[in-house]
Parts: sequence; C-alpha cells; structure tokens
Amino acid sequence: MLETALVIPILLFLICNFIAVMVQVTVQQQLNSATALAAQSRFQAPENAVDPAGARCCGVQGVTLVTAGLPTGCRYAAETFYGTMTAYADLLRWQAATLCTSGGDSGNETNPRLEPVAYPGSPAQAEVSCDIGSIKAGGVVVPGYVDRTLDPPSGLDVVTCTAAASLNFANTPLAWGVFWTPTLHAQAEALPPPFRQ
Amino acid sequence: MGGDDEGVVRPRRAHRQRRGQAMVEFAVVLPLFLFCLIGALDAGLWAVQSSAEVSAVEQAAMIASSAGSSPLSETAPDARAITLAISGRLRTAMFGTTIESWCTTDASGACAPDSTQHCPSTPAEVQAADGPRVVVVCVSEADPPACTTPPSAQAAPFPPGCDDSPMISVRVIGFVASLVPPGFGPGARGFELPTDISATTHTLRFAP
Repeated sequence: MLETALVIPILLFLICNFIAVMVQVTVQQQLNSATALAAQSRFQAPENAVDPAGARCCGVQGVTLVTAGLPTGCRYAAETFYGTMTAYADLLRWQAATLCTSGGDSGNETNPRLEPVAYPGSPAQAEVSCDIGSIKAGGVVVPGYVDRTLDPPSGLDVVTCTAAASLNFANTPLAWGVFWTPTLHAQAEALPPPFRQ
Repeated sequence: MGGDDEGVVRPRRAHRQRRGQAMVEFAVVLPLFLFCLIGALDAGLWAVQSSAEVSAVEQAAMIASSAGSSPLSETAPDARAITLAISGRLRTAMFGTTIESWCTTDASGACAPDSTQHCPSTPAEVQAADGPRVVVVCVSEADPPACTTPPSAQAAPFPPGCDDSPMISVRVIGFVASLVPPGFGPGARGFELPTDISATTHTLRFAP
C-alpha cells in the first residue's frame, strides 16, 4: 500500500499543476486580447478630443475612474479593456498603473529613449495603462509614444497599452497542489489608421 | 515431511496474498488514474477551446465594431453575419459543440433591434434555450445617452459621453463538449464545460 499512498498525492499534485498551467495560458490570452482591443479602440475616439468635466468611466470592484481632462481615446481604451476583461476576475490581483501616459520615445542614435510620463490628472490606480497623445483644450500638443523603429528617423505616434496582474489560486481547489503565483503581463501597440475621423 | 509441505504451501499463500494486494491497489488506483487522465485531457481541451474562443471573440468585436452601416445606428450588427465570420475558427477547436447565433428575427428576417436583443446572462440560460453542448454568439450594442441642453454651469456635450460612439459587445457563451460523452458524467450534462468569453469595444468612426 506504500506505493499507492505515494502515487496518489503525486498524481493529484501533477494534475493540479497541469490544470493551473492551462488556466494561466487561457488568462494570459484573455489579457492579451483585452489589451490589444484597448490599444486599437483609442482610434475609435475623435482625434484630439478631451473628456469634459464630470466624465467618468469603468473600473473593477465598483471603483470609478475620473477621466475629465484626459484624452477621450484614453477613456475608450479603458472602457474596452474593462469591458473585455470580465472573466477570471476572482483569480486576478491587478498591479496598479497610471491610466493615461504620454511622451514615451523608443529613441535612436540622435534621440534618447524616453519613458512615458503620467498624463496630468490621470488616475494612478487603474488596471491598464495606455500611452496616448492628444491636443489639450488650450492647443497644447501632448505627444504620444514615438516609435522611431517603425518610422525612422521621425517616428510614428503609436498607442501602447500595458497591463499586469498576478494569478492567485489561493481561493480555488487548485491551491491544494499549486504553490506558485504567476505574474501575467501584456503589452499591445496600435498604429494610427489612415482613414480615421 | 511436514516441514517440506509448509515450505511448499507458504510461498503459494504469500504469492496469492501479493496478488490480492496488487488487485486491491489496482482497483483503488485505476479509477483515480482514469479520473486524473480524463481531467488532464479535458483541461487541455478546455484550454484549446478557450484559446479559440478568445481569439474569435476579439476578431468578432473588430468586425462588429465596423459592421454597422452607420456609427450612429441604434441596432447591433446582425449576429448571424458575425457568427458566420468566426465560426470557421471556432469549429476547428470546438468539435462536438454546436455554434449558433443568439438572434431573434423580426418580420423582415433581420436580427431584432438591440432594445429587444439581450444576451444570455449564464451558460445555463443557453442550455435551457438551445439544448446541451451549444454555444451561442451574441452581439449587443449599448448606445450613449441622448445629448441635452447643458445646465448653465456645464459645458456641452451634456451629459458627458453623450457624443460617444456606441459600444459593441460580442459574447460567446454556453457549454462546450468535453471528452466524456453525455450521460456518463455526473448529472445529465456529463462533463460539459461552461464557457463565457466576451469582448467590448466602441464602434469605428470613419472620416466622411
């Protein structure tokens, strides 16, 4: 009976971890999809539009993000992300990010690489972060992410969205045999379409 | 002589005992092993099916967001056209599962307007309506509130977001087939696996 007593827990341990890996793959793909749709949806907002006072949007667990003064495309990206990332909410522990950033630069020989900075007034506790350019109400140009590798040497103003979360199995039956907490990360870029409004 | 007899009998008895023990162990482990094997295979199958659904729903959302004849249209794109566009991708992964459109047709044969078109909220609702091992593709549209004259302290547009483009949601929901045939699993559904994948995005606007 010793062999049986050894084999059964090992078998259950292996199956738990196998199922956990399958869940991780599935959630990662869902995260990739939500991030990609979020980046593309920025272009479904009118160019250079800015959210008016009182504008709000989505969030998780009843949290509402205030988007007044932010590019409308940023809110569109957030609405798309939260609207798509509806499954597996109980398993995910999100890493807080600034909803709207601007001014990143991939850089080249003459232009240094620049990290994006938070857009003024942007919520800092969002689950997704999008680097988006816009023209503010006073005509101030706020550049988005300049990707010089796509359009050298001047660069191409692309939208990049990122999201990160850890997968927590603690509240599932899999916790019996799964002792690791994988971190999922997704990044998506979208190019400006030629026929946008 | 008696000692010789015992010498012959004892190994046989021990051999029988070992065989009996092995049979008991086998009988205990076999169901568990089969359960784990089927569980692992089903988990792999579920991952493949979920992967296909996620990519199909993403594609469907992009198609649906640009499928409306007008960005200001108040009806969702026809779910049957969206289903047709992604069914090839779904069918390769979801063998044994029927893929249908969640659509109520009006007198002209088109999908009913969004006001009467509601997606099912749970996989069980799909099963109750369409039977076992069926997933449906549902397309719905949420229009922004109508713009009104803003109060004195507020700037137009009012309420905020009233000039947004509508939001399109595509949902694939139902029960997908597993490797265990109906009738062999616990309950009437067998080992059917519930699925509920959705994608939401704004409709596209094109320059005039």
